[in-house]
Amino acid sequence: MATTSFTAPKLSSPTLQSLYRNFHVSVPLPKSLSSFSRRFSPSFPRFHHQHHRLQRRRLFSVRAESENGSEPPRHYDFDLFTIGAGSGGVRASRFAANFGASVAVCELPFSTISSETTGGVGGTCVLRGCVPKKLMVYASKYSHEFDESHGFGWKYETEPKHDWSTLIANKNAELQRLTGIYKNILNNAGVELIEGRGKIVDPHTVDVDGKLYTARHILISVGGRPFIPEIPGSEYAIDSDAALDLPSKPEKVAIVGGGYIALEFAGIFNGLTSEVHVFIRQKKVLRGFDEEIRDFVGEQMALRGIEFHTEETPQAIVKAADGSLSLKTNRGTVDGFSHVMFATGRRPNTKNLGLESVGVKMNKNGAIEVDEYSRTSVPSIWAVGDVTDRINLTPVALMEGGALAKTLFQNEPTKPDYRAVPSAVFSQPPIGQVGLTEEQAIKEYGDIDVYTANFRPLKATLSGLPDRVFMKLIVCAKTNKVLGLHMCGEDSAEIVQGFAVAVKAGLTKADFDATVGVHPTSAEEFVTMRTPTRKIRQSLESEGKTDVEAKSAAGV
Amino acid sequence: MARKMLVDGELSQTNEEEAHYDFDLFVIGAGSGGVRAARFSAQYGAKVGICELPFHPISSDVIGGVGGTCVIRGCVPKKILVYGAAFGGELEDARSYGWELNEKIDFDWKKLLHKKTDEILRLNGIYKRLLSNAGVKLFEGEGKIVGPNEVVVTQLDGTKLSYSAKHILIATGSRAQRPLIPGQELGITSDEALSLEDLPKRAVVLGGGYIAVEFASIWKGLGATVDLFFRKELPLRGFDDEMRAVVARNLEGRGINLHPRTNLTELIKTDEGIKVITDHGEELIADVVLFATGRIPNSKRLNLEAAGVEVDSTGAVKVDEYSRTNIPSIWAVGDVTNRMNLTPVALMEGTCFAKTVFGGEPSKPDYNNIPCAVFSIPPLSVVGLSEEQAIEQANGDVLVFTSSFNPMRNTISGRQEKTVMKLVVDAETDKVLGASMCGPDAPEIMQGIAVALKCGATKAQFDSTVGIHPSAAEEFVTMRSVTRRVTASGKPKTNL
Repeated sequence: MATTSFTAPKLSSPTLQSLYRNFHVSVPLPKSLSSFSRRFSPSFPRFHHQHHRLQRRRLFSVRAESENGSEPPRHYDFDLFTIGAGSGGVRASRFAANFGASVAVCELPFSTISSETTGGVGGTCVLRGCVPKKLMVYASKYSHEFDESHGFGWKYETEPKHDWSTLIANKNAELQRLTGIYKNILNNAGVELIEGRGKIVDPHTVDVDGKLYTARHILISVGGRPFIPEIPGSEYAIDSDAALDLPSKPEKVAIVGGGYIALEFAGIFNGLTSEVHVFIRQKKVLRGFDEEIRDFVGEQMALRGIEFHTEETPQAIVKAADGSLSLKTNRGTVDGFSHVMFATGRRPNTKNLGLESVGVKMNKNGAIEVDEYSRTSVPSIWAVGDVTDRINLTPVALMEGGALAKTLFQNEPTKPDYRAVPSAVFSQPPIGQVGLTEEQAIKEYGDIDVYTANFRPLKATLSGLPDRVFMKLIVCAKTNKVLGLHMCGEDSAEIVQGFAVAVKAGLTKADFDATVGVHPTSAEEFVTMRTPTRKIRQSLESEGKTDVEAKSAAGV
Repeated sequence: MARKMLVDGELSQTNEEEAHYDFDLFVIGAGSGGVRAARFSAQYGAKVGICELPFHPISSDVIGGVGGTCVIRGCVPKKILVYGAAFGGELEDARSYGWELNEKIDFDWKKLLHKKTDEILRLNGIYKRLLSNAGVKLFEGEGKIVGPNEVVVTQLDGTKLSYSAKHILIATGSRAQRPLIPGQELGITSDEALSLEDLPKRAVVLGGGYIAVEFASIWKGLGATVDLFFRKELPLRGFDDEMRAVVARNLEGRGINLHPRTNLTELIKTDEGIKVITDHGEELIADVVLFATGRIPNSKRLNLEAAGVEVDSTGAVKVDEYSRTNIPSIWAVGDVTNRMNLTPVALMEGTCFAKTVFGGEPSKPDYNNIPCAVFSIPPLSVVGLSEEQAIEQANGDVLVFTSSFNPMRNTISGRQEKTVMKLVVDAETDKVLGASMCGPDAPEIMQGIAVALKCGATKAQFDSTVGIHPSAAEEFVTMRSVTRRVTASGKPKTNL
């Protein structure tokens, strides 16, 4: 459908004003936003480059306009109207504006807790996801570092105590700063920001709190929101939005769910010295991840003091007279929780957007159905990010937003590429992965070689803590290509990024082996895995051999 | 020549020569390169002997230990101290994240030292076991080469053992050297620095190489006052100039006093400590003066001259691409050859040696795109070419992508320290020629990037990789705009 129905987009000429607004001085940005700042650094070559491109594009758009005689030319307020200024929406809007389009974006007013009426420029990632979560992970990780530091000779007269309100105040100050920066970014790109709730009225019209705007293209990038299942007492439960902004430390917290959000918060609260219980329906955490990683991370987290209740489904939350909460499951009841957090999935924010009335198709979960170019069933309406429930990650929303801007306004139809998208879980220890799990690889390729390493990192030998690192490479037996790479242990997220370039480029195990290690690091294990732990063959019984020497041989 | 070696090394051949020798291979020196070569050769079926000096943290002509520099006096103990020292900065940062810590946090140097020694003893034991498990016979004592196929091992009690071997491998590594200045005996080298009885309060470091900046970072992190003296404008000669400046800025930012273009001329013992005099006429008092002024190959006492093995002016054993010396039965790997003095490179050379001589597969070590790390705080890690090297070597224009950002952790801690990343790209081929990073986790991050560079990855392939968010590493795949383009015109060209 995508290629056949795809028509060259038509564009109106950019105003000179929006053209000039593209060039601004850079603002000091935190790491997560630095890519934006580069975009705005004044540079002459860039100016010329862009200028030429705009001229080219303008010629093209005139031609496209005249070739397509079936539709009478129509004037729109904007070339693109974006609903939702999160990662995907801001990226698409900004790039579209850079390509010369006139763009508006609407977003709900700022709040740390999202709702039908609150959101904020920056979206989930900046306000209620990646960023605050990572800041909390940093904060909570210190308690492990204090423990480690004992083994390295550091001594504390009194054990470090954590002051919850300092953390929350500093975190919120940072979020305010970031939402401000995002607003500047939009403003500097010449994108008009409209505060309010956007609703689609017809294929080319958006209503924002009663005011109507017309646009050649509409982009829906309203993201998702935590979902709490209806059980008796579920009104006492909090979701991840609230968990990131609690006024005081939860003394004893129940976390319901076994996905990455549940594990991340379990680590955060545990590190900040809460008592943490995690309730999961299955036997293992992190469904969909590599089985060995699932086992390993569960063990490591349990060693750090988190209590897992497996195969327990919550049935009710009961509030006691003293205000404490009890969680009743199919197996029994655990009392005395100050907080019960549900991390039971997220749902697309597609309610009350007017989608049904204009005919935008959704699936049963409310996710907008799109083609490979992120186009919905209505040709002038597009959608990117979590609202489409493809791969719900910030960098994927950025990729989709970037691709859409190219498709619509640079005459370069671009499909996001979902192969070998790396991802991380900021549990403690964290997980990084790219490519296929062992189970997926067997299904898809049949014959594979699996290399694993399970070792005590140098830091743990001194700290005396039971921390370990697990690494895994999955290699296609026929082609020698590395199909999947998984790691759980310190720095996994940082380590996997570079390997993701290698896996995406289709490199082989021999290529890994030809690379010299950086010594002494954990990462070097990925280039020094000499003997397969097991070879899986469709025809024969798999040959297993545990490489007991795997790490001890690391040095020599 | 390769073919001839192959024939020499064929174990399956049962020519009568085989019977003459006590060993197929005798290795002198059980460090990274020697142990690797010995083990792998044994796994190919060779009968292998190896000799090593007795264990002690501080090396000398008669002291060494199985495991070698890396395990006993280098990478491992150094990294342990860096871990210990890094807590200093982390504890400061913890306060902004809400942690209430005492104003003064105690640090027990003796405890760290003790645990470090335990760990290297443990590793020393593991290495010995690795050798015995592989069937390699270990001799404790000093090895000397008597002839092309003969070694003598002088044991601790003075008795001498003489063995014949079809091949001899020299893997004796290197040792820190001292500058020839008055009072140099008051200074120490990195060996002693890793085993000091007491933590210095005032430390002076002479040298601009990686060892110098690592120890400066270690002592500063543990609370000492540190003065770092080096001859050039910036430390870390040979690395990318821009990154050198970043390291210098970070060292200063962490409170280390830098003295560029300054040398030490004299050390004098006084009651308050060691008086240090510079060539600028400055004087300061220190508890410890570290000479990190280079290392020299351990080739003096091997009897190489008599055996006819050629060495260069620095004492490094000269070898061909297969690590063979001018005497066909004598080979050398690792720091003693002074090629690229890194543990993983010695491992590679040892592996290639075993393959070439006993595996029937002539193998040359490949020195392209070897990643390496400097464990300063924060660390630097690089792979491939520096910008300067790229400009010199590329045929056309070079594109430079840089990113300098405040790591997310610092947004709350308030630490003023930017992470800097850099990609150097060949404009014509789009190939990424070099990558560098200075910032937390740089060495861990660079390993995967090294795989990509090793295989000639292009900038487009970097760009097509999705980021891991939020990480520092994702910057390497999101560098969209070129920072500068260095044109080929005007730069001198050679036909080589």
